[in-house]
Amino acid sequence: MTTTSSPPTGTTTASPPPTTDGIHLEGVTKSFRSGGEMVHAVAGVDLSIAPGQVVAVLGPNGAGKTTTLDMVLGLTEPTTGRITSFGAAPRRAVHEGRVSAVLQTGGLLRDLTARETVRYIASTFPRHEPVEDVLQRAGLSDKAGRLVSKLSGGEQQRLRFALALLPDPDLLILDEPTAGMDVGARREFWRTMHEDATNGRTVLFATHYLEEADNFADRIIMMAGGRIVADGTTEQIRARARGRTVSADVRRGDVGAAVERLRGLTGIASVTTNGERVTAIGEDSDALARLLLLELGGTNLEVTTASLDAAFMAITGEAMDEDTDETEETR
Amino acid sequence: MNPTLIGLELKRYCRDYVGLFFIAVLPAFMYVVFGAAQTFGKEEIGRGNVALYVMISMAVYGAVTATVSVGGSAAVERMQGWGRQLGLTPLRDGGYVATKAVLAVVIACIPIALIYVIGVASGAQGDLWVWFATAGITLFGASVFALYGLVFGLAFKSESAVGAASGSLVVFAFLGNIFIPLSGVMLTIAKFTPLYGIVSLARYPLTEGYSVDMQGNLSHEALWVPLVNVGVWTLILALLTVYLVRRGRDRQ
Repeated sequence: MTTTSSPPTGTTTASPPPTTDGIHLEGVTKSFRSGGEMVHAVAGVDLSIAPGQVVAVLGPNGAGKTTTLDMVLGLTEPTTGRITSFGAAPRRAVHEGRVSAVLQTGGLLRDLTARETVRYIASTFPRHEPVEDVLQRAGLSDKAGRLVSKLSGGEQQRLRFALALLPDPDLLILDEPTAGMDVGARREFWRTMHEDATNGRTVLFATHYLEEADNFADRIIMMAGGRIVADGTTEQIRARARGRTVSADVRRGDVGAAVERLRGLTGIASVTTNGERVTAIGEDSDALARLLLLELGGTNLEVTTASLDAAFMAITGEAMDEDTDETEETR
Repeated sequence: MNPTLIGLELKRYCRDYVGLFFIAVLPAFMYVVFGAAQTFGKEEIGRGNVALYVMISMAVYGAVTATVSVGGSAAVERMQGWGRQLGLTPLRDGGYVATKAVLAVVIACIPIALIYVIGVASGAQGDLWVWFATAGITLFGASVFALYGLVFGLAFKSESAVGAASGSLVVFAFLGNIFIPLSGVMLTIAKFTPLYGIVSLARYPLTEGYSVDMQGNLSHEALWVPLVNVGVWTLILALLTVYLVRRGRDRQ
């Protein structure tokens, strides 16, 4: 369940890979020392992104999303593995203006105006889009003379978007572009984005919000614990959530055995536990309920229809569980 | 070299009135109090008078404060993640450092010009070429200290780093024979401190290496001593800056 489920990337093994187009990550890992402990932020990612795709990277905090995007941007080097960006090293692609990004909050000078900020960054590129043009496309024409410190969070984010448009990139990377915005500002940002950026351009964005991934992406990559745990179209991901969520309390000592039995059933998508609470997602909710109540002595039974949210929780939660198991074993 | 970057960076500086006040007005005030207003200011020394000697010293202090504060602004930028934004552009490390260095030189001209103008008006005297030579050397030496500010800024990434860098300048100004004439062991120690070389070189056209301590003893120092001091400190600061700029690009 890594890159195989996406049609454009399935060709990479069958025919010679189109190395001059798109983004390719092979066996990429990133570890760093933090407070004397080794942290494996990215624990092995293989990924290909074809030109023209709009791809969302979804995952909880600490899933390795930002670190992965940083490596694609050449802001940090992978510990092992290889990344090619439009047939070149990531930094080269960035220098050539083929790849640009809207970074997470921060990264603006408060004592410059919006227009000056755009001029500043524009001057570092040998060729760039006209300054007034990108300000207009980011919806900042009427605020261009304002100091950055006087812009709202949403306006600052649109300014970062304007900066990203300057080199007219083939790939636009957005790292949680709407974090900290209210619903209205978020909608406004994506409206601006959609009008301009998706015009044949490859877009790769990280987000917490399923709704954003669902609305704007052709393809969703889910990350947890530094790995890709799901990769497919929004429909494919949603399909994993078909069926129902059934949960019940079982006696503490029986939790392990219950999980074992539930995983044995056919059509089971995931089984997770939280204390005495066992939660299973599967197609046949009746069979799940019967097993839980009659054979496993379950109480407080609850049956709900699975949403995309539930699929997300199931897929990422499962990966996180496996991850904690591993670390416990090594101790 | 990118004129747009330098222009915009200068614009940012001119918006910081408080900073400009401390860079230019404070050292000028110190010259007036410790040089122009003192009776010994009229005494001759080398190719001019003592007032000129004090004027050069305070110009060095002002210029260095200016360049260090430019480095301090780099600290705040790093804190705000501007380094990551620049990491997404073709601007190389060398270009970034060069922009900041040019900015530092331009900002350093402000206290030098102000203090020299006050010097002309308040009785500092010396050969005409000495004025220009000392100003030029001061400017050149202070530009090295843009790196000193950058190192502090890049290493500590906080506003307090700016304060720490400026604060340490006062100490190094005393240790570097700038504020008061040192002698004996203190003078020997001074020769290893970072501001000693700059101020000795800046005074050289006036004094030709001669100096008088508090007791009135005349002594002479060869030109290579301040030259080696400046050379070694420049190398140390340049290497540290390049290392820290590279480290700053990584988020972790």
